[in-house]
Amino acid sequence: MFGNRVEGLALTLPAAVFAAALFLLPVGILLSEAFRTPEGWSLGAYWDFFASPRNRTVFWRSLALAAEVAAASAVIGYAAAYAIVSLPTKARGRVFGLVILPLMISPVARTYAWLVILGRTGFVNQALVGMGILDTPLRILFSETAVFIGLLQLFLPLMIISLVSAMENMPKDAIPAARVLGANWAQVFLRVILPLTREGLVIGGTLVFTGSLTAYITPAILGGSKVLMLETLLYQRVAVANDFVSASVIAMILIVMSFSANLLLKRMASARRARA
Amino acid sequence: MKLGPILAGASALGLTVAAGAAAAQDKTLTISVYAFSQDEFKEIVYDPFEEICGCEIVVETGNSVERMSKIEANKEAPVIDMAVMSAHDALGAARAGLLQPIDVSKLSNYDKLYDIAKDPLGDHYGIGYTFYATSIVYRTDKVTIESWADLLSPELAGNVALPDVTTNQGPPALHMIGKAMGDTDPSLTAPIEKVAEHKDDIVTFYVRSSQLAQLMQQEEIWAAPVGRFAWGRFKDNGLPMAWATPKEGQTGGLNVMVMTANNGNEELALQFMDFWLSTPIQQALADALIDSPSNAEVVVSDEVAENLTYGADTVKSLDLIPAEVILDNRDSWLDQWNAKVAN
Repeated sequence: MFGNRVEGLALTLPAAVFAAALFLLPVGILLSEAFRTPEGWSLGAYWDFFASPRNRTVFWRSLALAAEVAAASAVIGYAAAYAIVSLPTKARGRVFGLVILPLMISPVARTYAWLVILGRTGFVNQALVGMGILDTPLRILFSETAVFIGLLQLFLPLMIISLVSAMENMPKDAIPAARVLGANWAQVFLRVILPLTREGLVIGGTLVFTGSLTAYITPAILGGSKVLMLETLLYQRVAVANDFVSASVIAMILIVMSFSANLLLKRMASARRARA
Repeated sequence: MKLGPILAGASALGLTVAAGAAAAQDKTLTISVYAFSQDEFKEIVYDPFEEICGCEIVVETGNSVERMSKIEANKEAPVIDMAVMSAHDALGAARAGLLQPIDVSKLSNYDKLYDIAKDPLGDHYGIGYTFYATSIVYRTDKVTIESWADLLSPELAGNVALPDVTTNQGPPALHMIGKAMGDTDPSLTAPIEKVAEHKDDIVTFYVRSSQLAQLMQQEEIWAAPVGRFAWGRFKDNGLPMAWATPKEGQTGGLNVMVMTANNGNEELALQFMDFWLSTPIQQALADALIDSPSNAEVVVSDEVAENLTYGADTVKSLDLIPAEVILDNRDSWLDQWNAKVAN
């Protein structure tokens, strides 16, 4: 495209310098805090972090919750995406618009809406009591369940968008062909849909997992300090304890977990491809 | 395209604009304040002061952590001249060498202040410009609150929220629960353990008073400790609400003005502080329901007083945790809380 390579590199230089100077460098300095001690470089801060049973509980809770949200959004996302791509073009655009709509609303507003819906006098409890399923309203708010529901609603659209675009790229007659050859729906999904949409699953899974792991406002409002997560713990360390070393440790853990999730999903996808 | 002439023209224009601005505003005061009600502060405090001093006020806002980090980062060449913050944050800044004592002899309004506002940090490192009471808001049709111990009573089990220990209301509320138990040790160990015993009875440990107002409205909770500044959100919510006057008294917090060390703009900063503490300005801020006055000369209507922490008797009855106690124990409170209450 460019007359010579130098010209192309020169054009990317300003953006690269901008990103390096204003993003990578400050983040690097911040994260290096967690390795610096008065005696030199050390992993001591990480050791101290994981030595605390409470921190380990918070770590596993955050990991498990993010994984659960990613798994649930994949299950719901596949069903929704399949339904969307099966629609006529015009209706597909409208439904897709509805899926994207929540992303345009602030996560704070969406999370507050859950306070109303999940409350003891809220829609869910009124319905359950009204139908005679429950005698007294259930306490849903300020529990892991509430955080799970809030995160799932927050990030499900990202999974659906990724899967819809993956399914749109699937050959139109792949599913009918498999059915004609006698595959049942489980086989169609596992042998045809899943291998052909794995890229979408990797992207969607990474977005949902990383988003759930690093969300602050939803766990803070729907979980509170009874359901401490890595993000809410990080906030505590900075805002109350003024302890930037622990905060950097948590930030580093979050970054490593996000990258690991992406690598793991890619590995799973390519293993499947190799087998297929 | 040749960029040279355009760039030269643009920088010449930039220089002209900059020089013009500098001539008009050669005196600048940079202040660091809380982000809330800035439109009203501009109208009541900043704009009138700019007219008097012929200077420009540059306002920086943010939460206290951001603002403190900024002051610390620019320690050698201070950008901020004066700041307002909570008394304990101010004491932390003073201990870190970021502040200088305020020359109160140059403040004509100093003698008008309530005693608790005059020198809350010692050595005149801070002057109280507003304070607030913290007590319990509750549903009068459901419960009666006469003591801080009532928060953990069986009648309220499953219907009460407490402030999280990380909020400004958290430690004072725990202090009062301890006082009701007959334990006023600054470690707060006894009240934290008591709350931990009852943690399943507590709906949530809230972090924002707006969240609390929502929970009260939805009838999730019937009672919670809250700062007086948030009372307006509750009293007109259509439910029968009251502000408790527990027998152990009310607690609260104090916000102070501070002067950054070596800012080189001390005269202007002092002039601004004096203006903010003057009776007409404190009166206007009180009438607009923004800040409770620390100037004892301010007289407000009953309706305004109802929304503020106002009057000599109220001020005397406040049982505040001293700033140094908060600063010295905050980490330990958080650790105890996370070990016993969170999780």
